[in-house]
Amino acid sequence: MDKKRAAFLSIFVFLAVNVISLARVIEGYYGKEYSHVYPFMFAALISTALATVAFFIWKKEEYKN
Amino acid sequence: MTEEKKNKNNSSDDQDMMKLVDNLNRKDDVNLNRRAFLKASFGTTVAIGLATTPFGVMSAVQNDKDDSERVEIADANELAVGEAKNFSYPTEGDTAVLVRTPDDKYVAYNNKCTHLQCPVFYEHKDNVLLCPCHKGYFDVNNGHPIAGPPQRELPKILVEVKDGKVFAVGREYRHG
Ligand code: FES
Repeated sequence: MDKKRAAFLSIFVFLAVNVISLARVIEGYYGKEYSHVYPFMFAALISTALATVAFFIWKKEEYKN
Repeated sequence: MTEEKKNKNNSSDDQDMMKLVDNLNRKDDVNLNRRAFLKASFGTTVAIGLATTPFGVMSAVQNDKDDSERVEIADANELAVGEAKNFSYPTEGDTAVLVRTPDDKYVAYNNKCTHLQCPVFYEHKDNVLLCPCHKGYFDVNNGHPIAGPPQRELPKILVEVKDGKVFAVGREYRHG
């Protein structure tokens, strides 16, 4: 699998991670289980950062010429 | 007549030919849609990811509020073994019950029943917490429901005995 395709597909993986994390964070917040909020918040932020990296890799390859 | 028909044919032929041009553009089209799709997906990913932060911040704020309070709720010898006393923690509205259990431990729970919010009492005879509204029973040692309609445990108030006094030092909603 070339770089562009990997970056492309990984964004959907990060999207899924973020959706799940957001659901857990909201659940933790309203369930007053604050200790559950932070790990999922960090997971979401890290996956957002990685998605940004993947997006720019993809963009560079996509608009190369 | 025949002439007219011919023209008609021709014009529809032309239109068909024109449509074929779309085939040449098609690859471009797919690419453009895919690009737009990925960009939208990326935008969604970022939006959802960042949407978690307000909850994190609010949790931190609420957590501070909840835990920082340390309140004296009773004298250690005020209650005999097997007795209970009502108090409020962390705010006036959050009524709670402090129990000195038969094995001489202090436990405390908010006493709003997790079914429909009736007040829960300590029943010395059976050593349980009892909600009279619909006969809900909670285990006095951990606040978990043991019989009746309630499904969730009572919020547990963390107590500390120090210098002959009982303090409430925090609260846990989900425990054990
Ligand atoms: S309100 Fe307590 S059992 Fe229904």
